[in-house]
Amino acid sequence: MNFRFPTTASLHRCSVLETTAFDFAWQTVGEIATAFAAGRLSAQSVVEATFARIRARDPLINSFTAVTAERAHVHAQALDDARARGEPTPPLAGVPFAVKNLFDVAGLPTLAGSKINRDAPPASRDATLIERLEAAGAILVGALNMGEYAYDFTGENLHDGPARNPHDRGRMAGGSSSGSAAAVAGGLVPLALGSDTNGSIRVPASLCGLFGLKPTYGRLSRARTFPFAASFDHVGPLTRSARDLAIAYDAVQGYDPDDPVCADRIAEPLTPLLDRGIDGLRIAVAGGYFKCRSAESVYGVDRVAAALGVNRDIEIPEAERARSAAYIITASEGGSLHLGRLRTRARDFDPAVRDRLIAGAMLPASLVTKAQKFRRWYRQEVLKLFAEVDAILAPATPCTAPLLGQQKFILGDVELPVRANLGIYTQPISFIGVPVVVVPVPLSPLPIGVQIIAAPWREDVALRIAHALEAEGVAAAQRPPIREN
Amino acid sequence: MTRKSMNRKAKSARRARTPARPLRAKKPYAISTLVAAAGQALALPMDASWHSGVTFNLQLLFKHAALVDEFSLPDDSEPAPVFRA
Repeated sequence: MNFRFPTTASLHRCSVLETTAFDFAWQTVGEIATAFAAGRLSAQSVVEATFARIRARDPLINSFTAVTAERAHVHAQALDDARARGEPTPPLAGVPFAVKNLFDVAGLPTLAGSKINRDAPPASRDATLIERLEAAGAILVGALNMGEYAYDFTGENLHDGPARNPHDRGRMAGGSSSGSAAAVAGGLVPLALGSDTNGSIRVPASLCGLFGLKPTYGRLSRARTFPFAASFDHVGPLTRSARDLAIAYDAVQGYDPDDPVCADRIAEPLTPLLDRGIDGLRIAVAGGYFKCRSAESVYGVDRVAAALGVNRDIEIPEAERARSAAYIITASEGGSLHLGRLRTRARDFDPAVRDRLIAGAMLPASLVTKAQKFRRWYRQEVLKLFAEVDAILAPATPCTAPLLGQQKFILGDVELPVRANLGIYTQPISFIGVPVVVVPVPLSPLPIGVQIIAAPWREDVALRIAHALEAEGVAAAQRPPIREN
Repeated sequence: MTRKSMNRKAKSARRARTPARPLRAKKPYAISTLVAAAGQALALPMDASWHSGVTFNLQLLFKHAALVDEFSLPDDSEPAPVFRA
């Protein structure tokens, strides 16, 4: 039976969770799959432990909007039975995962963080990425909170309440894949899927201290996901290790005719490449626009650059203008997408989202076309940089997680609105669809992420660097001090 | 004059014609007026209390658009999405 959990309750009543011999809460995807394959645990035991954890912890972080208990138990039993019959074990067998609630889940309405979509009929079929993960043996356990219609960097949702940052529940998880990040960082699941239009995987990964992958535009199928700005929309995983990103990515990559943007390319498994190391890779730090003006982001980039022995900067030309062009195209495509709902259900939007969408719908086409022309020019200029370097480092967010409800933050000597500006370093990158891995840099009291940007279709380069940083202990998903009721 | 040099000359002429005049709303109320008119033209049933929020956001979009618009591009530059039959 699918059911919804109540939103935040009794936030400060605590008792420490007893951990079992197998610490389900902080095991990686690879560790769970290996333990299942070796017969050290059953899929049913993983599922039971996962739902127990969700029941205990989700009232604290509000990451789930629905759980899929019945289908999870059926799937787990099928995996256990197949193993008992001696059948081959699929690569992700027994691994629980959850998805941002803009992915279609058969039997559930696809909320996309909205009130309006609650009236939509249930999806008749799962999104392609769910089908592929389940075919690989992973077990879907639920759908996750997100910013309304993905037009959000904060993770604050008027209808479902904010997903809370597990490192400090008074702070933002980041958006719009807020529940995805909170669920993984909070130890509820080891893997979640999110989407990234302007930074919606990378911003929450940074604020919650996780690894996140925004692949090349067109690499992973978006079939049966609710769109936002179609020419920028990507989907990808969030995990607690770089290897897990590669494992999940390998399970879901490949052409899908159901997504007209999905590239017809042969799948290129990356997990076997991770241990190749980074010798010979040319890496630089993004200069100019990306030169950080906050101590936290300076620390993150400097720490990563020092560990990699990087001592050169490279200028990404016209990045500020690229961010502006991304802002314009996003508003226009989003406004166009929601025009019908703005006519009929405008009062059911979060007013902050509604006003931005209406403004986007009113933007003259002449300005949008100019932004698209600039986009092509900018892409050509950035691609030239990849003749000189294999990867570029840049901050993921301008700050660590802001307080829930915080409206402004200071960057350098300028006060900026939080909602629009958490993505100032991510927007100029997704604008041209190049792949990015965010690595979490531990920092007290809150983590911060660094973007590793690679050339189109070179996810392998970014993941190898992320894996090397994790092996050195420079990048790590730190366990937050969550205590349960 | 060779065909090649003619093409080069024509191309540089196109570049030279590219306007670089920045986009500026001349009057503070221009965006507010646009919001009211576009709301009617697009058949958006806007509550009066939403007007200031929408106007603020459209002004912000025009600021971003000004930054893009002042960047000079040749007439023959292609927009990013390319249609293929």
